[in-house]
Order: sequence, then structure tokens, then C-alpha cells
Amino acid sequence: MALTLTRRKFLQTASLAAASIPLSKVTAGAQPGVVKKSYPAPGSFTGTESKPSVCEMCFWRCQIVGKVRDGRLVKLEGNPKSVDNGKSICARGNAGVQLLYDPDRLKYPLKNIGERGKPVWKRISWEEALDECATRLKAAQKNHGPHSLAIFPHGASAKYPMQFFEMTGTENVSEASFFQCRGIRDMGYVSTFGFAPGENVDMAHAKAMLLIGTHIGENIHVSHVKSYLKGLANGAKLIVVDPRFSAAASKADIWVKIKPGTDTAFMMAIMNYLVVNNKYDKAFVEGSCEGFDAFREGIAHATLEWAAKICDLAVAQIKEVAELLAANAPNVSIHPGRHVSWHGNDFQRMRAHACLTAILGAYAVPGGLIKPSSGIKLGKVGWPKGEHDEEFSLTGSHKFKPPGMPTENIKKAMLEGKPYPIKACVCWGQNPIQTIPGQQATIQALKKMDFVMVVDVMPTDITMYADILLPEGSYLERYDYIKNGLAGWQPGSDTAVGYIAPRMPVVEPMFERRDQVWITNQLAIRMGYGDKIPVQSLPEMMDQMLAPAGLSIAKMQAMGGIHTQPAKAPYAPAGIKEHAFKTDSGKIELYSEVLSDAGFPAVPTFLPVEEVPEGFARLVYGRSPVHTFNRSQNNRWLHHEIPENPLWINEECGKKMGLKTGDRVHCENQDGIRSRTDTVVMLTPGIRRDTVYMAHGYGTMNTAMTVAKDQGVDDTSLISKVVVDPETGAHGMRNNFVRLIKNGKTLNIPS
Amino acid sequence: MTTTSAISLAEVYRFLAHAMQYPERSWFGEDFLSLFCTFLDELGWDADRAALAFPKQLSSKDIELLQVDYTRLFINSVPHVLAPPYGSFYLAGGGILYGASAEKTRNFYREHGFDLALASDIPDSLTNELQFLSFLRELGEENVELEFTRTHFRPWFCKFSTIVQREANTPYYKAVVKMIDFFTMEDE
Repeated sequence: MALTLTRRKFLQTASLAAASIPLSKVTAGAQPGVVKKSYPAPGSFTGTESKPSVCEMCFWRCQIVGKVRDGRLVKLEGNPKSVDNGKSICARGNAGVQLLYDPDRLKYPLKNIGERGKPVWKRISWEEALDECATRLKAAQKNHGPHSLAIFPHGASAKYPMQFFEMTGTENVSEASFFQCRGIRDMGYVSTFGFAPGENVDMAHAKAMLLIGTHIGENIHVSHVKSYLKGLANGAKLIVVDPRFSAAASKADIWVKIKPGTDTAFMMAIMNYLVVNNKYDKAFVEGSCEGFDAFREGIAHATLEWAAKICDLAVAQIKEVAELLAANAPNVSIHPGRHVSWHGNDFQRMRAHACLTAILGAYAVPGGLIKPSSGIKLGKVGWPKGEHDEEFSLTGSHKFKPPGMPTENIKKAMLEGKPYPIKACVCWGQNPIQTIPGQQATIQALKKMDFVMVVDVMPTDITMYADILLPEGSYLERYDYIKNGLAGWQPGSDTAVGYIAPRMPVVEPMFERRDQVWITNQLAIRMGYGDKIPVQSLPEMMDQMLAPAGLSIAKMQAMGGIHTQPAKAPYAPAGIKEHAFKTDSGKIELYSEVLSDAGFPAVPTFLPVEEVPEGFARLVYGRSPVHTFNRSQNNRWLHHEIPENPLWINEECGKKMGLKTGDRVHCENQDGIRSRTDTVVMLTPGIRRDTVYMAHGYGTMNTAMTVAKDQGVDDTSLISKVVVDPETGAHGMRNNFVRLIKNGKTLNIPS
Repeated sequence: MTTTSAISLAEVYRFLAHAMQYPERSWFGEDFLSLFCTFLDELGWDADRAALAFPKQLSSKDIELLQVDYTRLFINSVPHVLAPPYGSFYLAGGGILYGASAEKTRNFYREHGFDLALASDIPDSLTNELQFLSFLRELGEENVELEFTRTHFRPWFCKFSTIVQREANTPYYKAVVKMIDFFTMEDE
């Protein structure tokens, strides 16, 4: 053929006669993606729908509707039927569209034919992927025992597989939501009140609110923020205890610029002051609490002066806080917090939160700690319980651990094979590279595994360490979580509105993404547990869960995704001070014999944390209002709003170091570990001199996240000193210290 | 051996769509390669033909090399996916799959009596657009074919093609994309 060949000429003159097969035969069996279909009339709005669902850009689960046009999601909005978040959703909620269609998302099962950490991916079939996962997980269990599997789950879709793996004989499950986040809070309150508190303080009807480290406004959960703002609008006094002038501190009546790690001492002094000055709720304590005398004695040393010295605060300010709380009791919100894995002494701090709530009588009253219940019973569907030999429990001394096993003990078994080897690992929706402190040790542990299976939506950092990587449908493409809540209560009324809202797919999953029930069941069949499969599909599971309420997916779809019914307000009748609790004593345990018997402090006790070394500042971290940790970092819309995490540095210190806002710096921690990336400096008077702050979740290392990679600094990479809370085994992650590197020069932070 | 004399462009489009499927033994074998190489011979693309250098009997390793390259170019990869074969990734307001331009592509299909076989599919994928072109050519809708090629296909394909030519590790994908370029160019 001539060099000037054109298409037309080729078609007229070329011959494919030399080929071993006719052209038409090669493509004969192919299924076309485009087919003949009838022509819909233009302008008919054919295919434009509002699809109700539940958000999972974070874990607050706002009710949403997706506007779907011709099968394409074009917009997400708050579900107008919602009695919870209403029509409002946050920036992340809006940006779910970008997650759905992110080109970096996982699309097909992948096999790593390179090495862990430097993967070379090859698309494989689900059949091959599942066969390999099942074979290699079973091999680990056969060779090293059923407990030789470590599971790192996170999010609503991980519950079903987590239960499956537990059934196969491993208790070695570490959920970041428990061991690196809120587990200590839950266990501190369980040990005191007998229940986990969630964030259920009635801020909308409070006369005063106490936030300790909680930075509402940067941590956006829509109905929670609304409740907080309603309380402020109603005139509630706000006390914010934080080393940093957070968004919440900016609205506070009193900003307590506390020394990090000393909050327990602060609360002990307040409680002691209230007790000594008879400003506590005697009737409530007599009616509902146990061990008051021992409690009083146990905190008697905690004078205002004692705490002021420890906390680096003025005596008068602690007294002012105590007086303000007493003046507004019992209608005060002592916020339990959410992420509380701070210093390795956190269980005692959470006990202090709970005890302070109790002695103020701030329970089941407007403004207080409440237990909202919709009264709507849902069915339970799950795998049978597994058998776990006590001999293989990694609980250790952490008798008050949340569900699962302490991460550090699991990691030790992965790294050192002690007390027994863990040889295979499943990560499902969790990114342990950024959730677990001691990043280098985590990576080493992953490299020691015989097999690593990862299931995720995005190619987060952990996916680099997978042998087999499986693509899961996003929250917009699947069923799962059923939000069950209460809203609409008012002081002086017994009534409220109970509601449920199931997550339902807004669009069908693209490519070969699958849901958790399908993946888990397929694995179960291959691992020999096919006879124990509790449910065949996610829709079937949802229908079984909805059935006790007389509902089904079809009914929920027909009613716009939300069912409401009358319910009871979460308040006790006025004047009632005597309540029963699910603790050993049946009362709120100000003094806990259970703790005492286990060898832990029976009353809230301050345990000092390591002081900041010369030349360094304590690294604290928090939430960005437009991100949910690392999960949302690759989202273009959200990245556009806050592309990196500025490092907050005290203005005076910064100037002495020759820094100005906008400079770029790396961080170096006390162990000589440097951040891989740099970030921008923000000088501010709104932070203590001994503390620096950045938002968590930035600094993604996986280049497959094309938007997020190397944007900002990964705070977890700087948390190499690992501290564990003795009661719960959960991590403390604010005991690391950094100094700065600018243009290659090390800058010590002035004391 | 075949005795075909005139070549149908509709079939060529379908063949090219087929050539862009994920490479598996079920179809990527001696027959397919024979035809593909004949195309190259007839086109006079000797360098591309020589670069292919596939053995007579394809080994698992040969297939795997193609699979790895396909995965890194078009699906997921470290450092990152290089050339997602979807139009809206390359067009205005892009960087996303199933963007606004994909909706326009689907509308175009529908206006001419076609639609996606699966609701979850992406309208402006390379294979879907090539298949659509094949249908138009079969129906003799050459003006519509030209309009679609000009307004929907070529604007993104040229960007896609440049990346594949630059980044592909295997000569096969460079040759396929070059062939698609050739057969979707307007006749002078």
C-alpha cells in the first residue's frame, strides 16, 4: 500500500485474504454496548428521577436524594422528607457526585504481580480473584490456625464481612472507629453509665455547653451542627477547652487554652469544686449514682490550684467554668467528643466526662446527655457467632477494650509472631496506613504477611500493599445501612418523631464493582462456609431487616426513602432524679469497683503525659470541614476548597523562627522521621506556643490518587511514638512532637 | 484463508472495538493476530508490524504483558491510570467519568435510535462509540457518522491517542490506537 493511503482507498483496494479468518467472524460473538432502542420523545423528562438514599461521605448518614438523569447522577441534595438533616447536606455530601465518577476509582479485580508497596496491577476475573483469596486465606488458617487472620474493617459495608471472618475463628479485628477514634469514649461511658453515649447531648436545648477538644464547625455532621447552632441561637453559654482557637472556640463565651494532655485534671478540679461547694445535684447523685463518697475522696486532692498548675491555666478561669456549669445545671451539654484517642490516658478522661455529667444531673433532661430512640425495631441479619479459644485472645491487660482486639497487639503478632503468628490480612474500607500510628511498623507488618486482600472504593495508600485488590460499589451504588433515629423533640413535650431511612442505590454500579454481601458470600462458598450463608443478597438482607417494622425496600422507595412515626421524647418526666442503668450496680458508677478489681483507677484519675522536648512542639490534629480523613482527599471539588493542611504555629514562635504565613515547611518528629511532603505555614495567635496543629488525612502517598497524592502532610507518618491506653488498648496519638525544616534548614521551636 | 475483496468499514469499526477489549486468551489468539497483522500489512505499517513480534504460539507471559499494559493504561495503575478510554475525561469540565459530555453522547445515540445495552455502562467509552459508528455505517447514515465523529469522537480521541502513543509499553496498543485514528479520520 502507498504511503498516501486514505481510508477510502484502503477499503476499496485492500485485501484481508491473507488472514486466517474473515473479519466478520472475529467480531461475531461480541456483545455490543450500544444497541437499537426506541426513540424517547425529546423534552419528556424520560429517565429523570429523584432517588432517595443515605450519605456516606462521612459517617453521620444524612438522608439524601440523588437527581438522576438518564442513568447519570447529576446532583445530590438533602432529602426534603428528612426530619434529621432536612434539605441540608454539607460540602462533602454535595461532592459525592465526584466520588461516583472519579476516574481513579477501582473498577475491576486486580492482582499485584509486582511487590507489596510497589504494585504492578493486572486485571483478573472475579472468579480468579475470589479463588485466590479463598485459597490463600484458607492456607493461612490451615497452617497457622483460624486466628492467624487480621481484619481491618471500616464503614457500613464492612460489617457483614467482618462478622464472616469472626465466624471463621478469628477475633483479631481492629476497627479504626474503635481503636483509633471513639472506642475509648464508648467504654468510658459504658463503665460509668452502662451505655455508649454517641454524641447524644441535647445541645439545641442546653443552657450551657462544654466542648473539650471537640471542634464542631470543622467537624461537620449536619444535624449535630444544627443542634449546636440552635443552642447558641437560644442563648446557651459555650465553653471550649482547646489548645487551639478552633471554629468552636471562636464562638465561645469562655475559651480555655489548656495544655494538651491535662483535660482530666481540669475536669477533676471542676468536679471537686462542685462537690466541696455543694454545687452538684445531690438529689440526682443520691437517686442515680453509686460510690459518691469514695469518688469525693478520690478527687479531693484536685483543687483549682492543683489543676491550674498542671493545665497551665488561671485558677479564676477554672472556677469560672465550674460556676457557669453549676449555674446552668442540669441543662448542660457535657459533650462526650468523638475522636478521643489522644494521649494514652484517655479512658480516665472519658470517665471524667461521664462523672461530670452525672454530678450535674445532666441526664435525660433538656440540654443533657440523652438516649434518643425511635422505638422502631429492625431485624438482625448476620453470620452465626464464631468459636474463639480464650487461649488466642489478644486482649492482654486491656480488660475494657471496645469490640475487636487492640490494634497494637495485632500488629505485634503480625510483625513478631508473638504470642502467635498472624499471617494473612484483610482490609475492607479501612486505610491502616493512615489510621494506625507507627506507619513504618504497619508497612513492615503488611510486608510480612503471606497474603493481603484489600477491598475498597478508591486506591488509597493501603491498596499499594494488596496482593488481590477488589473493587466495591460506593455508597451511591449499593444498599446497606439503615439510619434509625429520633428528631423533633421539644422541652415540655413528651412526643418526638422516630424515623428510619435505608441506604439504597442511586445508580447501578459501573464496571465490575460488587457489594459486600456478594463478595463475602462468594468467598464463604470457596472457603467451605456456603451452608452458613445467612442471606443471598443485599436487597434480601434489607427486606429482612425492615420486615419487623412492617416495611420493605419497595415500601421505602414508594414513600420517598424515609419512614416516620410518633415516638417518645428522650427526657425523663420533670423532677425524676432516680434512674436505672445497665451497670453492675444498676447506677451510674462514680466509683467503679469493676475497674478497681481489674487494677485500674476506680475514680477519674489524671495520668501525666510526656512533656514537650526542647526545640519541639506537640503535634495535634483534627478535622477539615470539607474532608473525612483520607477518604475524600481525591475528590476534585473538595480538594479545590482546601487542597492542603496548613500547619498552625503560634505567631510569636513563628516570628522568632523567621517564619511567615505562606512559607512552606516539612516536619520532623522526635524520632527523626521527616514528612515526605511539605505544607504551608499559618502563623496565628490562636494556638499555644507548645503546640502545632494540622488537619488529618492529607499527604496521600499512593500516586494512583491523582488529585490527593502528595497534597499536604500526612500527620500519621509523624506519629511514630506509639502510646496505648491501658484500660482499652486503644491508641493515643498526640504524644509526638515536631520541629520544622525550611529550605533544608532545621528550625527548632522556641519554648 | 479468506477470499474477501471489499472491506466493510462497519466491520472495521467493530473489529477495532473488539481489539480494545481486555486481552484474554478466549479471543486474543492466532486468528485475531493474523487478521490484525494483515491489517498492518495492508496499511503498509511495516514498523508497527515488526514491533509486534508475537510468537506463533502466544504464551501466558505474552498475554500477561498485554494485560498489565491494558490495566495500567486504561483501568488502574501505580503511579496512576494513564489514559481512561472515556470521552468526558478529556473534554471541557472533564477529568471525570460520565461527565456532561457523556450525557450528550448518549442523547446523540438516542436521537438516532440507539441506546446503551446496560444502564450502568458509560456512553462515551471508546468501544461504545466505535460500535455506534459501525451501526451508522451499516445503516448508510454517513452524514450522521461524520457529525458524530467530528463533534463527539475525534475531539477526545486525539488527546487519548497521544497519551497512548507516548505511554504504552506494548507495541500492540500503539498500533491499535493508530489504526483507530486512521479509520476514524475523514476522507479527503
